[in-house]
Amino acid sequence: MEKVKRFWFMLLLILTVAIVGCSPDDTAGDGDDSESSDDVVEGDWEGQTINVQLIGDFDMEDSTDPVTGEKTQGLQVIKDEFESQHPGATVEFTIMPWEGYTEKTQAMLTSGEADVYQMPGIADFAAQGVLEPLEPYIEEDPDFNLDRFIDNQVDGWKALGPDSDELGIYGLPFLGDARFIAYDKQLFDEWGVEYLSKYPTMEEVAEKAKQMTGTNPETGEQNYGIWFRGDWSSAFTLINLAEGQNGSWGSGFAWDEIEFNFDSPEMESGLEWLLEMQEYAPEGLVSDQGSEKWLTQENDIAIMLNQGPGDTVMPAYAQGLGERIGIAQEFKNDEGVGGMFAGSPITMAKDSDNKELAWEWMKFATSETVQQYVFEEANGMPAIQAAETWDSYAEVENLMAPTMEAMSTPWTPRYPWASSQPRFILTSEVEAALTGERSAEEAVEKAQRESEEWLENRN
Amino acid sequence: MVKGKVSLNENGIEDTLNINDDLETIKSKRRKAALTWYMFLLPSFIGILLFMVYPIVESFRLSFFRSNGTIETFTGLSNFQMVLTSKTFWNTVWNTFFIGFFQIFLTIPLGFIFASLINSIKHGQNFFKVVYFLPNVTSIVAAAMIFQFVLHPEMGVVNYALDAIGLPTSTWFSDPSTSKWGVILLAVWHWIGFVIIICLANLQAISPEMYEAAKIDGASGLQQWLFITIPNMSGTFAFLLITGWIGSLQRFNEVYVLGGPNGSPARSIQTMGAFIYERGFTGFEFGIASAATYIMFIIILIFTFINLKVSKMQL
Repeated sequence: MEKVKRFWFMLLLILTVAIVGCSPDDTAGDGDDSESSDDVVEGDWEGQTINVQLIGDFDMEDSTDPVTGEKTQGLQVIKDEFESQHPGATVEFTIMPWEGYTEKTQAMLTSGEADVYQMPGIADFAAQGVLEPLEPYIEEDPDFNLDRFIDNQVDGWKALGPDSDELGIYGLPFLGDARFIAYDKQLFDEWGVEYLSKYPTMEEVAEKAKQMTGTNPETGEQNYGIWFRGDWSSAFTLINLAEGQNGSWGSGFAWDEIEFNFDSPEMESGLEWLLEMQEYAPEGLVSDQGSEKWLTQENDIAIMLNQGPGDTVMPAYAQGLGERIGIAQEFKNDEGVGGMFAGSPITMAKDSDNKELAWEWMKFATSETVQQYVFEEANGMPAIQAAETWDSYAEVENLMAPTMEAMSTPWTPRYPWASSQPRFILTSEVEAALTGERSAEEAVEKAQRESEEWLENRN
Repeated sequence: MVKGKVSLNENGIEDTLNINDDLETIKSKRRKAALTWYMFLLPSFIGILLFMVYPIVESFRLSFFRSNGTIETFTGLSNFQMVLTSKTFWNTVWNTFFIGFFQIFLTIPLGFIFASLINSIKHGQNFFKVVYFLPNVTSIVAAAMIFQFVLHPEMGVVNYALDAIGLPTSTWFSDPSTSKWGVILLAVWHWIGFVIIICLANLQAISPEMYEAAKIDGASGLQQWLFITIPNMSGTFAFLLITGWIGSLQRFNEVYVLGGPNGSPARSIQTMGAFIYERGFTGFEFGIASAATYIMFIIILIFTFINLKVSKMQL
């Protein structure tokens, strides 16, 4: 009997160790809860810890940038700065890659792993009721002003809560992003074609792409007038073409209010235009191929649609092409608005134990200190207007100035279906049209029909 | 009931033993031994419970709900109805079976022929085994990325070779009619090493006496291959057929790398696994993804049962 007792004792011990070992590392403890504890005074953050989730090319330690080859500082400097400004507080980071970030964020939210999240899919998460509304914090904090952000950035990240009918602020802009048209000035010069205007029309782009397709008169190499991704982001390219003709993807933000316009005349003519442009592009754009020489000295493509700053600005300068590349705005409607809204806001988890400190971090993350760090050390785009005063900005102003402008004129709020089934339906139909499976008219009609069916089932 | 017994030990000394005590000790030792083994099994058992049984049960539960991960609404069988009436889902079933069929029915015969050739040479067997097996130890994700370049419309070596011998080239992954063949090529290249190694193991286990007897009877090399080698390979073929089909029906990694979750271009290489991923992890439709998972499970179950019957393989 003694041995049996010993067995059960050992089993209990193992289970206890396993349970303790698998429990969340909550160093703050009950007594340190910022909202319930009375002995926490302003400026005294003793014992409070927040976990901040970040996505992308962040690193705790100093490292070498794979694009520029320059030494970059790790997040440790940011951690040290924040902790010195908030004595007693500890900030920890959970860094994840972009690959599969949505499901990883969902898992972290479900298990209450972090206090602050970098969250491009804010609309989906706000609707789940897992995010803290930020308006009360903004209103009660005299040190904080939304004017610090680039125009439209705050509006772009507004989302609907689980029970609200009006868009609210659940996230602050953290990483900026934009879509624009990039072009190779050298090829334009060699072909004797005038550079793209600041706000080009579809006709202008088509005409110039046509002119620059063929054998380059100076180098004798085969050149292509235009390239665009025919797969992953093709739905957004098409939507922007509709916007450029004063059309839109549809209307509404909450799922029960959304109405799609995928089969509108603007969408159909936009798709026809893409089919025409395909003739001036290299083969393979439907599988993201054909643009391998872009941003190299041997580039053979004149105009690139739907480009982003992360893949353009710093890589261009790293290749010594900073002055060779030009940026024009995406197609805008008569109000000067158009193009996909993108980037990353930061949000606060509703179940955070240290919301006061989390809010302090959010202010800090959108301050010049962190935003400049993001721009100079992490190859990220800033989301604040003060960026225009930095020396590092002036060094790359040729590409940054139009990027900042693109950031201030996208379609807002962001497309609420951007990571849902309608996006994949529309993408597949654009692909079907580009590969000759269906006509433009059939493709947009099918996309509209399937998206409506999906919406009906969802509601 | 035996209470006690008088016996003699080796030295002829009388011993009185309490049989009850002995029985108790033996039982205790057996119990202890059994408990010890249960203790050893416990960690893996807990792992299976947490990481296999629980997700399977939870996924089954989710298939009856509309769920985005946190908010759930009971919807009965509507997720199953939605999946079973979805043209997109049946398109993925078609893609999965199409790619799987040609992968298996190209790789097994080819692998067997290569294995037979390797088995018949006297020198360099190990060299060829290594060369053919190398693709199989390569990550399928890395291999898929390399195949994008191999099958590049303008810079790919395959189009270069086709052009060099005067055959028409293809845009491969940019054309829905050829993209599946691109995946099949990759799958054959990746799996053939495994097929060769398994076939070789079987070939080397066939008794040489059978071949000697056949030679004495005047059988040619081809006749020996047809009437001795192939019949002796039936168990291996059945094994490759069943494991190959199960792997094919679960195909995800390479099509995700090549065509994303929606199997570009135009869903031409989207498999059942990719459909589940698209609905579950990019669209937060966990209920639909779970229902599709169970439907895929039933399809694999039925198909494996048919394979077992066709191949007459004993479990």
